[in-house]
Amino acid sequence: MDIAELKAELEGLHSASFGWALSCCRHDPAEAEEVLQTVYLKILEGKARFRGQASLKTWLFAVIRNTAISEHRKHLWRRIVFLDPLEDRTERPAITDAPNTAFEKSETQQQFRIALSKLPPRQREALHLVFYQDLSLSEAAAVMGISIGSARQHYDRGKKHIRKWLSQTETDYGITLGRKEHPGAV
Amino acid sequence: MESRWEEKNIQALFSKLKTADERTAPRFATIWNHASIAPRRARVFNFAFVGATALLFCTLVSLAVWSKYSQRTQTANVSVITPVPTSTTPLVATAGGADQTSTPNPPQDIKRPHAIRAKTQRNALIAANWKAMHDSKTITSWQSPTAALLTSPSDEMFTSLPQLNQSSTQLKSFLPSRSN
Repeated sequence: MDIAELKAELEGLHSASFGWALSCCRHDPAEAEEVLQTVYLKILEGKARFRGQASLKTWLFAVIRNTAISEHRKHLWRRIVFLDPLEDRTERPAITDAPNTAFEKSETQQQFRIALSKLPPRQREALHLVFYQDLSLSEAAAVMGISIGSARQHYDRGKKHIRKWLSQTETDYGITLGRKEHPGAV
Repeated sequence: MESRWEEKNIQALFSKLKTADERTAPRFATIWNHASIAPRRARVFNFAFVGATALLFCTLVSLAVWSKYSQRTQTANVSVITPVPTSTTPLVATAGGADQTSTPNPPQDIKRPHAIRAKTQRNALIAANWKAMHDSKTITSWQSPTAALLTSPSDEMFTSLPQLNQSSTQLKSFLPSRSN
């Protein structure tokens, strides 16, 4: 696959890639953008090469995940070296959103983001890849670099956590989260 | 049925999230162009790598110097111990007399330039043992410096008996003279 062809493919996957990068960077848009840029640079330099062993989307997502992990480690190391105080990044999306965008987002959406950020990383990744990216469990396992059995376990546990959160939110706020969107679902 | 509804519910929440993310996503061309024109990191000279290598080199050199220095000091300590037997040998000969042949020879191989710690320790121990043995012999054959004052010319008279064939005149000479 030559670079022009690859570029066209990447452009088609760009929004999904950004969504996955956001998930890998704990919903920090700046960091996600940096990670995506690094990934594209790796592809341009030939450090990340698509060999056709998996689908392009799976390969790209695996590269994004690995790059995000290494970038996060680098940031942590820099913080330790320069004695920069560590900030709590888990609650970041709810806190650092611009006022206008935060206003646009519904209460449920923000709550859902927070609930996702509280999940263990593997569970969050499994849920994201299956529900957000519409990947199969085997594809999700390939992206995460784990066996399909482990991926299924993480997926089930994550779903269980979200289910608990849903029922809790319904009782706390007295709102029906999905029933309005899918009236014929029940 | 309930779980299917929940799955759809979760799916709906994720699709909402996806829509929101798509709105905030930067353009592909922007990131791609940034990546294309991004300055390639100079791989030929990495300061961190050079610094780490220099530090490692310094550590290794100082370790080597230290180990060599410590070996030298150990061998010097051993050579300080070795001259003791040679200087004390004549003393033993005069004081002990007959024991002169039985004095053990000091270990001559201590001066060997072996740097093995175990061997130097063993040699030091042998030298110390030899010294202790020599000291004990010196103590047993010790004589007081005033012993010579206790001897007199008439000591022989007290220690020997008169002979049968000795003349009485000779015997009288030994007896105290009577004035009255």
